[in-house]
Amino acid sequence: MKMKRTSIFIFSLLLSLSGFSQEVKDSIPVKTERYGLRVGADIYRLARSFYDDNYQGFELVGDYRLTRKFYLAAELGNEKKRSDEDQLDFTTKGSYFKVGFDYNGYENWLDMENVISIGLRYGVSSFRQTLHSYKIFNPNPYFGEIPPIQSGEEFDGLTATWIEVVAGVKVEIFNNLYVGFSARINRILSNKEPRNFANLYIPGFNRTYEGDFGVGFNYTVSYFIPIYKSAVKKKK
Amino acid sequence: MKRFLTALGLLALFFIPGCEKDDLCDEAARTTPRLIVNFFDFANPTTPKNVNSLEIIGDGASDPLGTFNGVSQVELPLRTTDDFTRYSLRINSNNEAFDNTDYLQFNYTRDNIYVSRACGYKTVFDLDGTSAYMLTDAEPADGLWISHVFVNTLEIDNENETHVNIYF
Repeated sequence: MKMKRTSIFIFSLLLSLSGFSQEVKDSIPVKTERYGLRVGADIYRLARSFYDDNYQGFELVGDYRLTRKFYLAAELGNEKKRSDEDQLDFTTKGSYFKVGFDYNGYENWLDMENVISIGLRYGVSSFRQTLHSYKIFNPNPYFGEIPPIQSGEEFDGLTATWIEVVAGVKVEIFNNLYVGFSARINRILSNKEPRNFANLYIPGFNRTYEGDFGVGFNYTVSYFIPIYKSAVKKKK
Repeated sequence: MKRFLTALGLLALFFIPGCEKDDLCDEAARTTPRLIVNFFDFANPTTPKNVNSLEIIGDGASDPLGTFNGVSQVELPLRTTDDFTRYSLRINSNNEAFDNTDYLQFNYTRDNIYVSRACGYKTVFDLDGTSAYMLTDAEPADGLWISHVFVNTLEIDNENETHVNIYF
């Protein structure tokens, strides 16, 4: 394997900065692991944009290996979703960003580099909603049921923040190419609601439930860009 | 490592109580209210008075709302597509010799208020401050059986209070 001079430089710089520098004293080959940046996209959101007329969206994913076990992780996305429900018909449109970390709990064999992780994210979304039509709920429809009321009202400048617990797996299927799946449970931290309507869908968070609870997942393909190698410390 | 997983586990607990069912509209009290009318004795205005065989029909409805007997309170649905609702109130409807019909029309403005995902919106009503109601006699005239109408509140946004008193 090639190791570029620049990589060595970054490697030694990072090591000296982080104070992890260690000296290799014996002549036994030291096990090394690769550190770098992994970037990719969610293919579920991409595919759904083709088969679901009520959905358009994409999500870019990335992580950076900080230590042997910890990865800095982030997702960036945009969604447009029409929710045509029993009482309400509305479209939500906006962007989101999530940042946090993954902890790899999987002990790889030999030089495998798979990841089974649990992590946390802080998510933030900026979006707007259009209410197409709504129904009046009347438990005593003595004068007859009335048809849905056409609205077209726009609700701009909405924001929400939330926290996610993420469980994920990433498997290297070819050299440096990974497929991954993650499942998430979310909880709202802050939510700027519109007047006389509610944030029933938040880009990145998905459908909201009463009690500020949500779930999500993604199915990713990503590519690993190696930056440097680091020796694995032997257990004493 | 173990401490870390314990911390994550505890954090996960934080999410669990948030899961609630929200796809059924619990219609009680939270949605479009009816007009609550109480009947009182005109001669003794603090005493509730029960109606005898009061047949109530709304203008534009296909069926009578019902015939009420031995009660001092009725709930009248208001129309959510117009700014007025007129009811025909026929007392003693079980006795052709003594029956008497009055018309009572309520005038209001409407607001549609968001309730929830499962319920959608509700309509609330604001009775007209200058002419909340119009009391008229039947054609041909048979005299008014209702002596006096009193509006307790102009805001009709729940069913927990009496909106209108009728004295007879």
